[in-house]
Amino acid sequence: MIRDRGQWVMVGVAMAVLLVALPSAPAQSQAAYYAGKSIEVIVPFAPGGAADVGARFAAPFLEKHIAGNPRVTVRNVPGGGSMLGASFFAANARPDGLMLMCTTSSTVFPYLFGHPSARYDLSKMRVAMTLAFGPVVYVSPRTGVRKPADLLKPGEPLVYGGIAATGSDLPVLVAFELLKLNVKTVLGFEGRGPIRLAFERGETNLDFQFTPVYLTQVVPLVKEAKAVPIMTGGFPNERGELVSRDPVVPDLPSVFEVYRELYGSRPAGPRWRAYEAASVLTFTYGLTWWAPEGTPPDALRAIYEAADRINADRDFQERGKSVTGGYPLRRGDTVERAVQKAMRPTLDVTKYLTDLLRDKYGVRF
Amino acid sequence: MLEAAVAALAVFGDPLRLLLLCGGVLAGFLVGMLPGLGGIVAVSVLLPLILRLDARTALATLTGALAVVYTSDTISSVLVGTPGSPASAPTALEGHPLAKQGQAARALSAAFLSSLLGGFLGVLGLTLAIPVARPLVMVLGSPELFMFTALGITYAGSLLGKAPVRGLLAGVLGLLLGLVGPAPAAAEFRYTFGQLYLLDGLSLVVVALGIFGLAEVVSLLARGGAIARSVDLGSGWMDGIRDVIRHRWLVLRGAAIGVWAGILPAIGATAAAWMSYGHAVATSRDRRSFGKGDIRGVIAPESANNAASAGDLIPTLLFSVPGGPAAAVILGALYAYGIYPGPRLVAEHLDVIYVIVWSFALANILGAALSFLVSPILARVTYIPFARVAPPLLITMVLGAYQATRHLGDLVALWLLGLMGWAMKRAGWPRAPLLIGFVLAKPMERYFWLTVKLHGWRWLAYPSVLIVGVLLVAPLVWGVVRGLRRRSRPAVETPPAPRATGSLRRLTTTVSAACLACLALALWQGMGFQFDARLLPLLVTVPGVALAGIQTLRAVQGEPPGPAENGDDGLGPDRLAVLIGDELHRFLQIAGYLLLIWLVGFHAASLVFMLAFLTWVAGMRWLPAVAYAVVSVGVFHVLSFGFALRWPAGVLVWR
Repeated sequence: MIRDRGQWVMVGVAMAVLLVALPSAPAQSQAAYYAGKSIEVIVPFAPGGAADVGARFAAPFLEKHIAGNPRVTVRNVPGGGSMLGASFFAANARPDGLMLMCTTSSTVFPYLFGHPSARYDLSKMRVAMTLAFGPVVYVSPRTGVRKPADLLKPGEPLVYGGIAATGSDLPVLVAFELLKLNVKTVLGFEGRGPIRLAFERGETNLDFQFTPVYLTQVVPLVKEAKAVPIMTGGFPNERGELVSRDPVVPDLPSVFEVYRELYGSRPAGPRWRAYEAASVLTFTYGLTWWAPEGTPPDALRAIYEAADRINADRDFQERGKSVTGGYPLRRGDTVERAVQKAMRPTLDVTKYLTDLLRDKYGVRF
Repeated sequence: MLEAAVAALAVFGDPLRLLLLCGGVLAGFLVGMLPGLGGIVAVSVLLPLILRLDARTALATLTGALAVVYTSDTISSVLVGTPGSPASAPTALEGHPLAKQGQAARALSAAFLSSLLGGFLGVLGLTLAIPVARPLVMVLGSPELFMFTALGITYAGSLLGKAPVRGLLAGVLGLLLGLVGPAPAAAEFRYTFGQLYLLDGLSLVVVALGIFGLAEVVSLLARGGAIARSVDLGSGWMDGIRDVIRHRWLVLRGAAIGVWAGILPAIGATAAAWMSYGHAVATSRDRRSFGKGDIRGVIAPESANNAASAGDLIPTLLFSVPGGPAAAVILGALYAYGIYPGPRLVAEHLDVIYVIVWSFALANILGAALSFLVSPILARVTYIPFARVAPPLLITMVLGAYQATRHLGDLVALWLLGLMGWAMKRAGWPRAPLLIGFVLAKPMERYFWLTVKLHGWRWLAYPSVLIVGVLLVAPLVWGVVRGLRRRSRPAVETPPAPRATGSLRRLTTTVSAACLACLALALWQGMGFQFDARLLPLLVTVPGVALAGIQTLRAVQGEPPGPAENGDDGLGPDRLAVLIGDELHRFLQIAGYLLLIWLVGFHAASLVFMLAFLTWVAGMRWLPAVAYAVVSVGVFHVLSFGFALRWPAGVLVWR
């Protein structure tokens, strides 16, 4: 219910924008870089996807917590598997911090694999902030798998449903290789929602979902004994190694732990590093807000500081629990090096990934 | 359950909520009326505004906007033959001829009433689905979804028209257009010709606008005069209502098709409208008036598309799986509120679902009332010389098409598809199979491969698959049987249509030969794809090339286009040659406008285009033309600002 006057004012403003099409003047604060300005966040996907939801969820918090209270609007530029929007951003964003881009790994991978249509250089862009989206891998009880070790000798063949090998499925597919699991992979689903339904119907028996969906949609299945959670993707420690447990689902082992349990040693080599790179880009920094090269330090600092303040915002914590799984925002300056490092894998890692994609999944480079 | 329903109704006791719902309805109404803008625009424009409200108010506003789009989109379909949204393309096919015959009022009132009823039945379906949807969706695996998309394709069969070869070829072309972009089952992009714009495939909005809208506008322009031939508004409003009462079971069947299409994730409102239209044609004894303005062809799709937008909400609310693009935006809004739809929503927040149910019902009433209020005024458009109506309409279409990806490729695609639609129309190719093929190509391919890979070949023996298989095969068998019976009866002698000659023959030959060339190119390119990406293109193009060869031979021999699709019965060859030349001329003018947009941007180009068009083509005097053009572009500016639309900036413009 709308009770207090503040909300009425907000509604009034909203209606005014709708009908008269005039933007409201943002609150002024003279000293701040963003005072009296507005930020446009480009989302290179259609409305309704993960990047769109994340960008829109964060927008009002950014408005509230960036010094100077800029107006923050979200603009969808879909097309070309997100390459159209990212290329648009690269061509149009001026280094003034007034245009940002919010992406997922679907934008990063074409760049990483040198797709000819990826006309944007992420290595030159600045990371404004990031937000994690952790994966939880679970199986059907019909497989007889109760714990990670059972994955090597399932009661029925493991069948995994995915969207496309070069998208958010990539780290999970690499994890299966790393753990030497015998999995039949069926790609071609239109989204992770239909994949979950296919799992529930029994068409597949091995699946992963992002933490917010896991917590809301899969945990009820676990309680009904229709799904068995197995592992998470893991989380980086202070040195950036993907060896810690996911803070949102701390009772599940990570891929790192599962490997150690199955094979008795720390995972290493190109396979492990390929998993680390793909996983970090897809999950740990699942949502990344980019600023163009040459963005003034004042602008970046304002966003970094806003990220800290947003994390302390009760409302963000409360709503974030269900929207994003409860991960805090990460300041760009603390994660930029890790993001850039993951985007520049060593030659053997690149070779491993391209070989896997080409030989097993028919991707042409 | 009843308690939750009543509690949800109390939500609307707050006058502000009611006001916002009305605001949503108004936004959806406007967006639906403008060709090219649809539910996604309506919902996404509201999104930033409403995310500051509480969840229930926000949902009421969003649902309000979504619910009326398929009511008001009828207006431009009927009046100017340009689909207000892709889902009302069948209405344009049948309702617009009625408007030309001076029966716009009848077509509109029948459409609004069936939209309203379809919406009601849809939302009733949504309410009833809550307890049964779970087991139902659990039954619908990939094999079943594949069978249902295949069933949808066979509906196109009843829309082939009098020339089955051309009808089949149109379907083949539609399937091919639908294959552009990423293959679902393999890491391969098909038919993108190195264009970034084509990487995601063609947008449905652009295809529907081009094939039906632009083609219609151009032929209306060339014909000259006003849209309506006979000036008789008359008491058509009551006629339309009587039509709906007479065809009440068709409304019900259309709504059932709509709800069902909504539940199926692969099939949306557009496919629902066409399937419902195909169903109306297939179940009618007398099919002669279809394509020339049959009220049944208005009632069936209008009932279905409103029902489908309610049906779309079933998987969205019960499984967190969006039933369509607009439903995906609503789902995103729910996520942003931390509401994750699914079984838990039904158990814990049943009132949220009922807020949506009530909003949907309320919005349908408001939308229909608004349509009834506004359209008598708008219906007068059909009596104004069309050349004066056309420029703002063209600008709206261009702006609408540009919203698809906000890439200039949208404009090029619109123009090319418009030319294609026009050529098909003139050469007597039915366009309905094309749109059905386009809409269902990818889901059919996707579910075919998922089925084969997940189930091997066992699925062919599944009982559910067999049941749908019977539904699929029965009408085909029935059609053959009926055809044989008819053949055994002495045929009624119809005088053969005169052979096509002169420019008409040149046109039919060009169209057939171009189709053959396209299919041959597609076949040749298709051979280079990986196996999982190659199967459907080859299945489509191999028979396609053969059919196109036959068709080209026939065209060379002077096969007449046939009276039904031509729309200009009884024109002499000389008059027709002039008309065709005139229409091609209009396409060149539009191309000039698009080129100008690329150079100097949307505003300046639209202003120049309108001025030039109004003075030269429409014969207006300078002063009123300037006033008209300035006011129109001003309105577009305000409108596109209000709806957060983007427009091309122009390469020569300093930024």
